[in-house]
Amino acid sequence: MRMQISQKMRIKEAKQYVADKLGLTLEEICDVVTMSEVREDRGFGLGNFEPYAESNVGMEAKFKIAEALGIKINSVERFKERAGIK
Amino acid sequence: MTDSKKYFTRMGDGSIVYMTEEEIRADILAGVKDAADRGKIPPLTQDEMDHIYSIVTMPGGVVGVEPSRAIVTSNDSGSDKISTKCGIPVERSVNAMIHERVLGADSVDIGLEDYNYKTVKGVAKREAAVLKNALNKTTMPLFYGAMPNLGFYTKPDGPVDNWAVLLPEGKIKEALAAQEEAVEHAVKDIVYVAEQMYDVGADGFQLDTSGAAGDADFLVSLLATEIIKEKFPDMGVEIGMAGEFVLGMHGRLKYRDVKLAGLYPHQQVKLVEQAGASIFGAVVNTNCNMTFPWNIARVCTFLKACSEVATIPVHANVGMGVCGIPMCENLPSEIVSRADRCLIEICNLDGL
Amino acid sequence: MTKETLFKDAFDSIVDCEEEKAMQVLKDAEEMGIDPVELLTDGFSAGIKHLGDLFGRGEVFLPELIFSTEVMKLVTTEIESKLDMSQIKNKGVMVIGTVAGDVHDIGKGIVASLVKTNGIEVHDLGREVPAEVFVEKAKEFNADFVGSSALLTTTMTEQKRIEELLVKEGIRDKVKTLVGGAPVTKRWAEKIGADAYCEDASDTVNFILGWIGER
Repeated sequence: MRMQISQKMRIKEAKQYVADKLGLTLEEICDVVTMSEVREDRGFGLGNFEPYAESNVGMEAKFKIAEALGIKINSVERFKERAGIK
Repeated sequence: MTDSKKYFTRMGDGSIVYMTEEEIRADILAGVKDAADRGKIPPLTQDEMDHIYSIVTMPGGVVGVEPSRAIVTSNDSGSDKISTKCGIPVERSVNAMIHERVLGADSVDIGLEDYNYKTVKGVAKREAAVLKNALNKTTMPLFYGAMPNLGFYTKPDGPVDNWAVLLPEGKIKEALAAQEEAVEHAVKDIVYVAEQMYDVGADGFQLDTSGAAGDADFLVSLLATEIIKEKFPDMGVEIGMAGEFVLGMHGRLKYRDVKLAGLYPHQQVKLVEQAGASIFGAVVNTNCNMTFPWNIARVCTFLKACSEVATIPVHANVGMGVCGIPMCENLPSEIVSRADRCLIEICNLDGL
Repeated sequence: MTKETLFKDAFDSIVDCEEEKAMQVLKDAEEMGIDPVELLTDGFSAGIKHLGDLFGRGEVFLPELIFSTEVMKLVTTEIESKLDMSQIKNKGVMVIGTVAGDVHDIGKGIVASLVKTNGIEVHDLGREVPAEVFVEKAKEFNADFVGSSALLTTTMTEQKRIEELLVKEGIRDKVKTLVGGAPVTKRWAEKIGADAYCEDASDTVNFILGWIGER
């Protein structure tokens, strides 16, 4: 979805881009079990898991996603500005 | 061989109807022809029509695509659904989290219950604060969304004369001038709201139900998108349509030398691309008096043509009364899932 | 010139919105001794009907439709001036409006325009019209048709009130009721007892013309 919004990529191209960036296959990025582990390991946020102290969610997860996908996320950029870290 | 077995399906208003193979195939063909004729676009192939038939008659309550064909979802008036529509008093950032963590949505929009930019303008900074709060708590992309709804700029609710009154009275010149004036007001309001939303970090800006008040309404979305994308290239814009063709309430308005009235989805998407939008939300009306096979075949014909020429993602609006979904409040999942599967497999859409 | 080409010219003069051509057709028809009522019905009115269909397909736009209505008005006036008025059937009177609580009047305006182009006397009551006003105006104008539009699921119920009030006031049998609007369906029309559910403006015209034909 982020690649569609920010880069206007169509679904096939967007899936390939994300798979390449994450070093996964197309099958893996569509697999909930694989992606749950990837999201947990890389701090991308676990939408529907019981949260624990170390789990990322919300803004911190978006920092990680922006970095991994090599894109700018507007809310992250504005957050940095407001927090004085940019 | 055609047998006399009757399959369960529905009419466009949701009523149950049982049809034979022959009847279903005839309706699919008629739906395809109607779209091809109106849109002046190629009809679906026999294989594609056979595929629609197999999806329509497939056993099971809910059908789905292969996991590798899964696509994403965007939303319009999403933040309204749990609170206003379901009557559960949830704050909008909580609503966004429910969409993300319970409903498995890929994105949602924050919007005011009085879902139009003219109203939002007056409370834009407050609305932006709600969005900012939601953006801090959620991981998925969030839009701010509302309708351009040019009708709200007419008297007594707005500053310009009401063309829906002037036109039937034969006051053409006045009606055209009123629409042109309303466009200026609406573009200004939308751009102002977009500025506030960009400032708090919106991922996207949703111009929903564009063209609801006719060609002038669609022009507003195109002009506003152009300005927004120039000012804030990092924020995506989704233009979602109101109907399958742009209604000619003015009839002479153009965008980049293209007359807007009468454009169908495959033509609309090219202008949406030129304006700089990231996603095109396509709409084909559901005809309540026709069957689901007729409606979905018609929808697929229009949206296949649209998807083929698009260079930006195309999301089909699969809500109540559009894109094959029946016109009823509680949607039957067996029809919704069949419509979705047809749209993904025949039209190669990017989202719903 | 044959009768067929004359009727075709009458049809085209409306579709192409050509006033001069329409007047020439009337003149030729008089010289050829053609029944003006037949010309009106099968030539000019057929043109308006075709235009309505084109509008429903997005091929003709509302202002063009209105221009053609003006030509149609001139044609009708001209024919009426040469005829014993009793020859021309009064097509009917319609009151139309968007129901109370609902400000969406774009679609209703289109329906009003298209019905008017077909020679029906239309009284547009505007938007946010209470059921009581629909009934009161139906009585005042001696309406044959009562059309109501609702764009919201929350305002559709007002259409049911119109039905109830028409019964209460004893005029339900004198009028045909038509309901329309985005969330409105045939099921809803049947449930509340309306005579017709109209998918769009052309549908409305077809119902009305159908009823007139049955008279």
